[in-house]
Amino acid sequence: MNKYTVINPHSKFTVLNTHVHNIDGIAKVTGRAEYTFDVKLPGMLYGKILRSPHPHAKILNIDYSRALEIPGVYGVVTGKDTLGVKQGIWRRYKDLCDEQILPLDKVRYIGEPVAAVAALTEEIAEKALDYIDVEYEVLQGVYEPLDAIKKDAPEIHEGFERNINVTRHIEWGEVEEAFDEAEYVREDWFKCGGQAHMCMETRAAVSSYTPEKKMTIYSSNQSAYYMQALMAGVLGMREGDVRVLAKYVGGGFGGKFELDGAIFCSAILSMKLFRPVKIVYTREEDFIATKRRTPMFYYVRTGVKKDGTFCAREAKVFTNGGAYTGMGATALYLTGFFHSFPYRWKGYRYDGYRVYTNTLPSTSMRGFGAPQAMWCSEQQIEWIAADLGLDPIEMRRMNSHHEGYEVPGQATIASCGIDQCYDEIKTWIASKGELPANRAIGLSACGFMSGGIFNWFDTPYSFSSAVVTINQDGTVELHVGAQEIGQGSNTTMAIICAEALGVKVGDIKVHSGDTDHCPADLGAWGSRQTLMTGNAVKMAAEDAKKQLLEFAYAQSGLNIVYDLDIKDGWVHAIARPERGEEFVQLVRKALRGKDGQRIVGRGYYTPHRKGMISPAYSYMLQGVEVEVDEETGKIKLVDSMTAHDCGQPINHLGLIGQLEGAFSMAAGYGYLEYMPYEDGKLMNPNLVDYKMIRATEMPPANIAEIDTYEPEGPYGAKEAGEGLTNPTAAAIGNALFHLFGVQMKECPVRPEMILNALKEKKEAQGK
Amino acid sequence: MSEPISDPVICPVCGKKAKTGSAIDCARHMFGTGDKPHREWVNAQGLSFIDLMIEQATTPGNASYQILAEAIEKARAKK
Repeated sequence: MNKYTVINPHSKFTVLNTHVHNIDGIAKVTGRAEYTFDVKLPGMLYGKILRSPHPHAKILNIDYSRALEIPGVYGVVTGKDTLGVKQGIWRRYKDLCDEQILPLDKVRYIGEPVAAVAALTEEIAEKALDYIDVEYEVLQGVYEPLDAIKKDAPEIHEGFERNINVTRHIEWGEVEEAFDEAEYVREDWFKCGGQAHMCMETRAAVSSYTPEKKMTIYSSNQSAYYMQALMAGVLGMREGDVRVLAKYVGGGFGGKFELDGAIFCSAILSMKLFRPVKIVYTREEDFIATKRRTPMFYYVRTGVKKDGTFCAREAKVFTNGGAYTGMGATALYLTGFFHSFPYRWKGYRYDGYRVYTNTLPSTSMRGFGAPQAMWCSEQQIEWIAADLGLDPIEMRRMNSHHEGYEVPGQATIASCGIDQCYDEIKTWIASKGELPANRAIGLSACGFMSGGIFNWFDTPYSFSSAVVTINQDGTVELHVGAQEIGQGSNTTMAIICAEALGVKVGDIKVHSGDTDHCPADLGAWGSRQTLMTGNAVKMAAEDAKKQLLEFAYAQSGLNIVYDLDIKDGWVHAIARPERGEEFVQLVRKALRGKDGQRIVGRGYYTPHRKGMISPAYSYMLQGVEVEVDEETGKIKLVDSMTAHDCGQPINHLGLIGQLEGAFSMAAGYGYLEYMPYEDGKLMNPNLVDYKMIRATEMPPANIAEIDTYEPEGPYGAKEAGEGLTNPTAAAIGNALFHLFGVQMKECPVRPEMILNALKEKKEAQGK
Repeated sequence: MSEPISDPVICPVCGKKAKTGSAIDCARHMFGTGDKPHREWVNAQGLSFIDLMIEQATTPGNASYQILAEAIEKARAKK
């Protein structure tokens, strides 16, 4: 049974800060929610994609004439049917727009799309793939970043010397001087694996191009606006002529805000055939032909004083970028930034190198580079505390961020509850008493951002916008560009709108996931929607409320010193709550006063002067109790406790769901979800061989929610649900360290690694 | 953080003043930008941009930035 405790709770809200069920929950559990998979249009064809069997090869010729002879096949497209646009989500930097989804000249990873077929049924389309003849000239491949930077390594993209795709440098303070002050210096190399996003809904799209030169696309994505803009770019269309719909999305986790083969190939086929075309990826395709969490090699050198004061840190990181840039460039920066978190370093230097290889491209995934950073950082800190004989919690505490701290040149911390997190975890550990001999507790701290302030997408729009429209019956239409992907975004926005406007959640109808009818918004990534879209929604609702109250003031005849407010559908004088009228009555009067025009409120949000990374940061400390079978090396998670600061919680039910989900994904990254490649080929692209944490393996996920107030967030709210993907792997590693004294430097930690470490330890002791 | 300096070093390629205006910050800027003109300028100083970068990536410390900073100072002195 999970335990959920709120520390420092506020009680000044009517709707917010309560337990609200997802507003789309009933539609989902009754099967009425229509996902892209469910979309069926008149005359629709089904598409399948032919993929490269080679990790690196030139495409010499594609002959699909035999495929066209198969009854039921309507058409085939290749790179020659496209404009050949090299696209990417870093639109501001043309060099990093490096991916043709149907490449013209060469393939760079196994699974890359080469051609696509549209047919009457999926089965016919699948069969037709066998009748497409592709002539390749196979090239030498390279699969690991440290091999790809060698002088004699094959060139994957022209002009990228030694296959270095992107570099990032972060530095503050006099690093070498700070190392000189240190009385103890430790250096370690770590390896962090990839991870599949593993959305319940695989990539899917239905595209419909009409003779009016309009494209409508239903797609499973994290940002309808990004899809619209990117598709317009690759199709040579105006953004306004491309409509993207994504009302229900079965998970994203950072993997669905770039173009994928489903959306691109269905659109190209539809343009060629003037028929709607649907493509749904199989689970295997989702594994081998989308993107993954970025694998990294981390070198970490840390200098501290003997009393545990942190002096300096240096990190050098190579990431396995795979074949294309995608969002990997952002992950490269963020891993370097969050590697410093949540601590104060007098000198800090990070050099990150993203390297092209002939493997599946890597990109953003829940945590955005921070889980890898924390795997290395939090273990090394634990080892340093042990080396110096210090209490690891108190050593962390004395070096932690605090309210008002400035991460030099990067960020200012306006709210920070980590100090109380330490107290809560200490209490939890004390409550455990003495553990059995095969169990230990590991800890890990971290922080995370509440949306990114960078604009590599080069949008001219506000980062978030919202429109509130009030109907004559008191119901409210809320239009947002925020993307509901199963995380509860629509519910969060409804709560914020209801709180600001003074009505009930049930009065709000949220419209999202439709570029024709919703304002542009960067979508669901980097934990941005609660803070950014939430601010826009609050502003729009307050704008509408202000307009309504103008009518209320005019008719009330109240002395000007009295203020009016709306709470729970009741418009009243604050000083005399009993004097007022129903919200709906006021709305009708306002309608009449505006000659029948509905009240419309508008809100928008773009962060300004908030540093380099994010407007706000969440903080957390996690403890995990781990049991290990010494004979098999098998890990079992027994219990867990997370002390978490997300500012002011908007919806406790949503928060609990997000934290539990993040924990299960993070635990999978720590000890289960291994992606082995051989010569560029993923060896376990299915859910039998790729192990995820199952319900039976999920330990209690206890939470102590530390309420703080974040001045930049709506009602003081900030990030929740992505940041908690960061600490768990390191916490598991630290538990293994305390259990056996072994230092695990590669994640995920597999049973054979534990057995090997124990064997090596025994041999060392024998010597 | 170092204080801004009075006679800042300007990037010999794009004319940008990097952070404090020190030669080492200029070197960091050149590595960070890393486009063709910046690479060619470094190579023209008798150095290898890519070798310096790999050296910086694979060894602890700041040696490559310092080597490039010295080259920037030398080129500046020549002017």
